[in-house]
Amino acid sequence: MTSTMFKARGPRTAHRVVAGGAGVRRRGVLPSGVPWIMPAFVLVVGLIYYAVVETGYLSTLDWDGTYPYPTHVGLSNYRAILHDPIFWKAIWHTAVFFVVTFVAQTFLGFLFASLLHSRIRLARLYKVLVFTPVVLAPATMAPVFRQMFAADGQVNWLLHHIGLGFAAQPWLAQSSTALPVIMFITVWQFTGITFVLYYAAIGQIDPQTLEAARIDGASNVRTLVSIVWPGVRGTTVALAMLGVIGALKTFDVPYLVTVGGPNYSTEFLGTYIYRISLPQAHVGYGAALSVLLLVLALLAALVIAGRARRERGDRRV
Amino acid sequence: MPRSATAARPRLLGAVTAVAALLLGGCAGGPLPATEDKGPADSGSLTWWGWTPDEAPAEAYIKAFHKAYPRIKVTYKKLTIDGYNAALRPALASSVGPDVYAVAPGSGNGPVKQYSVFGVDLAPAVRKELGPGWRSKLASIGVGSLTADGKLAALSAGATYAGSLWIDKDLFDRYGLKAPADYAEWKHVCAVFAAHHVGCFVQGAAQTAFNEDTIQAIADNVRPGVWEKAMAGRVPWTDPTIVKALGLWQRLFKDGIMQSGALGTMQYPDANNAFMSGKYAMVMMGTWYMQYATRAGSTAAISGAGVAHPKPFTQVPIPFPDMAGTGHVGALFGDADFGLAVNRRSKHIAAATTFATWLGTSAAGQQTVADVLNDVPALKAATPDWNAVKLTSPDVQRPALQKLLKDVGRSTEPRFATVSADMLTAIGEASTTVASGTSPAKAAATLQEAAEKDAAARRTH
Repeated sequence: MTSTMFKARGPRTAHRVVAGGAGVRRRGVLPSGVPWIMPAFVLVVGLIYYAVVETGYLSTLDWDGTYPYPTHVGLSNYRAILHDPIFWKAIWHTAVFFVVTFVAQTFLGFLFASLLHSRIRLARLYKVLVFTPVVLAPATMAPVFRQMFAADGQVNWLLHHIGLGFAAQPWLAQSSTALPVIMFITVWQFTGITFVLYYAAIGQIDPQTLEAARIDGASNVRTLVSIVWPGVRGTTVALAMLGVIGALKTFDVPYLVTVGGPNYSTEFLGTYIYRISLPQAHVGYGAALSVLLLVLALLAALVIAGRARRERGDRRV
Repeated sequence: MPRSATAARPRLLGAVTAVAALLLGGCAGGPLPATEDKGPADSGSLTWWGWTPDEAPAEAYIKAFHKAYPRIKVTYKKLTIDGYNAALRPALASSVGPDVYAVAPGSGNGPVKQYSVFGVDLAPAVRKELGPGWRSKLASIGVGSLTADGKLAALSAGATYAGSLWIDKDLFDRYGLKAPADYAEWKHVCAVFAAHHVGCFVQGAAQTAFNEDTIQAIADNVRPGVWEKAMAGRVPWTDPTIVKALGLWQRLFKDGIMQSGALGTMQYPDANNAFMSGKYAMVMMGTWYMQYATRAGSTAAISGAGVAHPKPFTQVPIPFPDMAGTGHVGALFGDADFGLAVNRRSKHIAAATTFATWLGTSAAGQQTVADVLNDVPALKAATPDWNAVKLTSPDVQRPALQKLLKDVGRSTEPRFATVSADMLTAIGEASTTVASGTSPAKAAATLQEAAEKDAAARRTH
């Protein structure tokens, strides 16, 4: 079978397989695959890694982005960041944002996916409704949310009309409410992704296992908690990884809805990098923040992946 | 004989290196070219980028320019205020950037100090247009503030001044109110409007650069000139005048004159749209709002605010009310609004220079600027032709506009020209923290700290 497979790739490879055995076979495969990976390889090395290295270099400069003779300042941008209260605020907001949005999206996404796997009327319509926010561009939705959560917006109008007028407030104008609004918008927008992934993952669970649980008399809740939830653990880990990276990269919603304010209460690393690099023209400092963002994202991904691996190992034991 | 894998490796490595080198070389860009006239001066196709003016004034300028130079086609692209720098920098670093781009003095949008490196020196072209005494023919506010690194980096189309408020005179008339002259009257006016479910005063305090306008106006009301001195580093930000001005700014929020939710509102588009759509009777805006006194300008702005059947209303400038009770009112502070710079990478430098000098220095170009009322013209000889300007309510608006233009002629106080981007950010931060309840003295101390840091950074450079 192996011989037939490699023969299909052309006479040159086949010749090596016959002549050299397994070791040569591996060497023979590499060149034939290279033309296929070259475009992606060049793109990745030429653009992404170049940009990363260039950003690392820029982070050692005191530069406005245009002046032809930037000043080299070594690691002083990084030292300054450690004493920058706005940076720490942004980190704190990122942490809170990740925990709240991840928990909420996971709960809602898992709930919707479970419900829509059961026999429910108009299931297709519900799927569309849950997923639709995902395809709406934040730039399109931002003015709508700005209007909705304005002091004279629809949210307060609704609160007044359902007898909860005491809860009406200028949502985007207060530090205490601006971040929760940003998190609400994010949950609204991205729960559809969580739902779709859980929906697919639940579909992969062996139906016989579910059937066995039912025969054993497990209730729906028990089945969800003891069979379905552990069965989609891999998806949850993947979502956690995407969530933490997404939280670190958060930019569009807080920038478009609150511009990071008021009083930096919705400042994230992304919005801070933009503000410091462009309006304030501290490109070197912004690059140092970008490098830290990259490091944090990699660390978070490694921690989550490592923890997931350990858990898998524990379960096997 | 078949090629071996080992033989392919060096070639592969070479190909990767070559492609990577090409990519990296392309990304790095080259040195800026020497400035020289490129292309004919009276024909070509130009692109012009700016965050201001609006499309309507820009179209009026281009239309008038085409009458003089029918073979030069100009296409205007208006970018957002907040997105301008982000779009301009990479565009100018590439070879496909705009031929003409807007810059501003100081820390304004497209700061001239930063972007002059991409522009040609326009002094020779102006000298050719206006003669050896060209400096005396142009407003010094435009020439001085747009000169950088020893070259005239951009030509001012005109100046704008802040410090005034604009009112919807029709709304005031409907409720029998007159424009407030002091704080008590302002509170009374707002109370009456509130009783009729009409918004009183609107400001987008989330777009903090505009907060500086209001606080500077208040500071000039407390004691004229102190704010300007603080910006120049000649008075500490902890000066009692500044502290008092911040306290009065805070009162605007506490007393409900500033609309609820102001800290979550942007000046553009939120506050602008709220005023234009008749939801509020007063707004903090400067001389750039003169264009909306015209029927065409007002209609376009109201339509732009989302009103289905726009009906022009009477918009009138008034001096900032006497909040401090000192009688020092009517202070105006301004800069060159935007200057037109010519991109040294342009393939049409000569034609682009023709456009910039025509708009910024020619009698015909500056007359157009004067009549559109977006800017106070840079050419001293140019004044609006009031017979050509179609105002919504000429009897009410013309005297008010003429007074405003007379007053700006006496102004010597800069708006953003002497303040760095970092200080502007610090002022913005102080304005929002004070509005949220931080004590004015504490905010002033923070401002002083930021100013000292800024000064130290400037000394380092």
